[in-house]
Amino acid sequence: MSSCRKRCKRQILKFAQYFFRFITGTLNADSVEDELELSAVRHRPEALELLEAQTRFSRKELQILYRGFKNECPSGVVNEDTFKEIYAQFFPQGDASTYAHFLFNAFDTDHNGSVSFEDFVMGLSILLRGTVQEKLNWAFNLYDINKDGYITKEEMLDIIKSIYDMMGKCTYPILKEETPRQHVEIFFQKMDKNRDGVVTIDEFIDCCQNDENIMRSMQLFENVI
Amino acid sequence: MAAGVAAWLPFARAAAIGWMPVASAPMPPPPREMRRGQDGLIMLNVSGTRFQTWRNTLERYPDTLLGSTERDFFFHEETNEYFFDRDPDIFRHILNFYRTGKLHYPRHECISAYDEELAFFGIIPEIIGDCCYEEYKDRRRENTERIQDDEENENNNDLVLPELSFRESMWRAFENPHTSTMALVFYYVTGFFIAVSVMANVVETVPCSSGPNRAKEVSCGERYALAFFCLDTACVMIFTVEYLLRLIAAPSRYKFVKSVMSIIDVVAIMPYYIGLVMTDNEDVSGAFVTLRVFRVFRIFKFSRHSAGLRILGYTLKSCASELGFLLFSLTMAIIIFATVMFYAEKGSSATKFTSIPAAFWYTIVTMTTLGYGDMVPKTIMGKIFGSVCSLSGVLVIALPVPVIVSNFSRIYHQSQRAEKRRAQKKTRLARIRATKSGGANAYLQYKRNGMLADAEEEASKEAGQSLVCKINPTFETQHHHLLHCLEKTTNHEFVDEQTYETNCMEVSLTKPSMSRSSSMSSSPHGLSSCCTRRNKRKSFNVSNSNMVGGRRGSIQELSTIQIRERPMSNSRSSLNAKFEETVPLNSEDQSYITAAVISMPTPPVTTPEGGDSASSHDFLQSNIVRVSAL
Repeated sequence: MSSCRKRCKRQILKFAQYFFRFITGTLNADSVEDELELSAVRHRPEALELLEAQTRFSRKELQILYRGFKNECPSGVVNEDTFKEIYAQFFPQGDASTYAHFLFNAFDTDHNGSVSFEDFVMGLSILLRGTVQEKLNWAFNLYDINKDGYITKEEMLDIIKSIYDMMGKCTYPILKEETPRQHVEIFFQKMDKNRDGVVTIDEFIDCCQNDENIMRSMQLFENVI
Repeated sequence: MAAGVAAWLPFARAAAIGWMPVASAPMPPPPREMRRGQDGLIMLNVSGTRFQTWRNTLERYPDTLLGSTERDFFFHEETNEYFFDRDPDIFRHILNFYRTGKLHYPRHECISAYDEELAFFGIIPEIIGDCCYEEYKDRRRENTERIQDDEENENNNDLVLPELSFRESMWRAFENPHTSTMALVFYYVTGFFIAVSVMANVVETVPCSSGPNRAKEVSCGERYALAFFCLDTACVMIFTVEYLLRLIAAPSRYKFVKSVMSIIDVVAIMPYYIGLVMTDNEDVSGAFVTLRVFRVFRIFKFSRHSAGLRILGYTLKSCASELGFLLFSLTMAIIIFATVMFYAEKGSSATKFTSIPAAFWYTIVTMTTLGYGDMVPKTIMGKIFGSVCSLSGVLVIALPVPVIVSNFSRIYHQSQRAEKRRAQKKTRLARIRATKSGGANAYLQYKRNGMLADAEEEASKEAGQSLVCKINPTFETQHHHLLHCLEKTTNHEFVDEQTYETNCMEVSLTKPSMSRSSSMSSSPHGLSSCCTRRNKRKSFNVSNSNMVGGRRGSIQELSTIQIRERPMSNSRSSLNAKFEETVPLNSEDQSYITAAVISMPTPPVTTPEGGDSASSHDFLQSNIVRVSAL
């Protein structure tokens, strides 16, 4: 009852405030909170030398990377929506937002909701200049959505579905409902050695290292920068 | 894909590693690493303002001038930079386009200058960003409208089809009364009769003093019935004749019959004829009286005579949606308030609010703040709601009105601007022609002085000093030499304006001069067959008909040099002669890049050239030819 009364009181107070502003004509005035928000979040990356030491990129490569990054995100950080937008531009036929969401989580290592230049460059360093072990590690991290160390079938299904979403619906042959599920089955057949329904990091790395195709494809993007 | 996002492509490709372990098929081999040119800075010098950017930035758009090898044409070896002799202010926006992928349109720039720059750099204007696209499109539309306006006006005023059939010339006379005196007379006469007719309608209802032995007053119409009837008959006859003439002359009768003005005409004269048919028939006399109301539509015939009225009509038409909204909101408000007032006043005795429709009248009168006072609420609730009603009435009516007003203002100002432009154009053309004739006279001077090298300087000094500030002597000499070559080629000569005019005058004496208008040509064979550039017939002007000197000037395109030749024989039968042709530039969309010479073959009509000092040679053949040199 008291909560009801409290709510009533709050409502009456709000209405009185509204009525007062209605009378004095300040209904649409900017409130203080709005003004604070206008000063956007800005982030400056660490020094070039530090980044050079931490990643495997040369100075020039870091310069090029940062210029591209800053051009698209002048505030210095990428939030998830911008990330999705940018990634979606590369896949116009389909819907890349789910996969971009997973990617974002993989890049956002400190889980603060935004990807700074350091996160970005660290991730790229692993992907482009890392050892096969590191790359596989990164991939496992990507698939493990809740970061608990195990890939379950549901997580895998989500990932595979998001990859198929990027294709869009105009594919040949036509995408069927059960294709992602079948794909997950094949994956688990291959990876899950002890048939316990989950894939651990060791199973994953072991299995990948024994697969020729996967090994070869890991080397594919060495020269991207 | 936006150019900025291209920088993220390496990231997207790297992220593709996430797909590798789940891939169902082997990956394709990566594309060969193209030997990327060094990513250096490019220096762009645009009229002195230096811009620098990365080479990669420019190469994002390889189908533009800066992004392709076309820019090598502008490379300046001595300073090791690319030099463009263009506007640096606009170049700024073009370079920003490469940097950000968005093209903006600066509002203070002239739209045609901007378009030119875009065309030069190979950028299509459709990629202007959303923020600036609307503004760009608006300005562009204004510009094209203005150009169209100008063309139409010129076509209307200056050029004429020499072979206008009688019907077409009549239609022209109807549409543009200024083209001939007959048309003007007709215009004023019809205007006068419209006014007379309307006044008669008004006056005939005024009560005239009746004779002493009459009981009631009669209106003037009844007293002088015959006089009014005759007046009405005369007016209606004139209107009928006018309508029939217009009908005959109209190029497309069906379209004419559908047009608003013709409907007004018909409605204005129908009542009379129906009245003639139906007189003294008692059953329909009531309807007959109603029909007389339609006579007042004659006043709308004035809209042919007044541009302002037409603008008003056009505005109302273009604001149809605002008017509709006004009507709708008013109706809603009326119904609401009428209901409220009815129920509020139900209790009071002897109230005038007998029903909701009866309350409509009160609501309308109150909302439009008229307040006749014939219906007044008596209860307190009624008074409260009545005051709310009047307050809200002001608001509801005031809201859509500014939209209508601004529309009217815009259209009115547009027409004003068109008028002003036309007036200014004449003075502008006169001024420019004076400057140009200075240049032409220089050449004539040069020839007069025997084409000696020394004479050039004199000629340029003499001709040029008043009008043209500085003449580059080398340029002048070369230009003169060129004109001389032309003369030699065509075996015709340049003469100055006065001699030309005199010749024209003499020719015109041989046939009745039509009028001050150029629209009615008396010589149907005015066209020569030898002109190779004839595209549209109306591009030719029979200069025969432009005897008044000033008239000719208005047709003349700015960069026209007149070449005139001495007429050959003395025959004065000019009517059959294919005398001359002019090809004014402004009637066509094509640009005449080089001098187009139109020469008349046979038989030239000539007049003795009196004292033409321009040519010291003895020319056998001369026709008047107009050459346009750009």
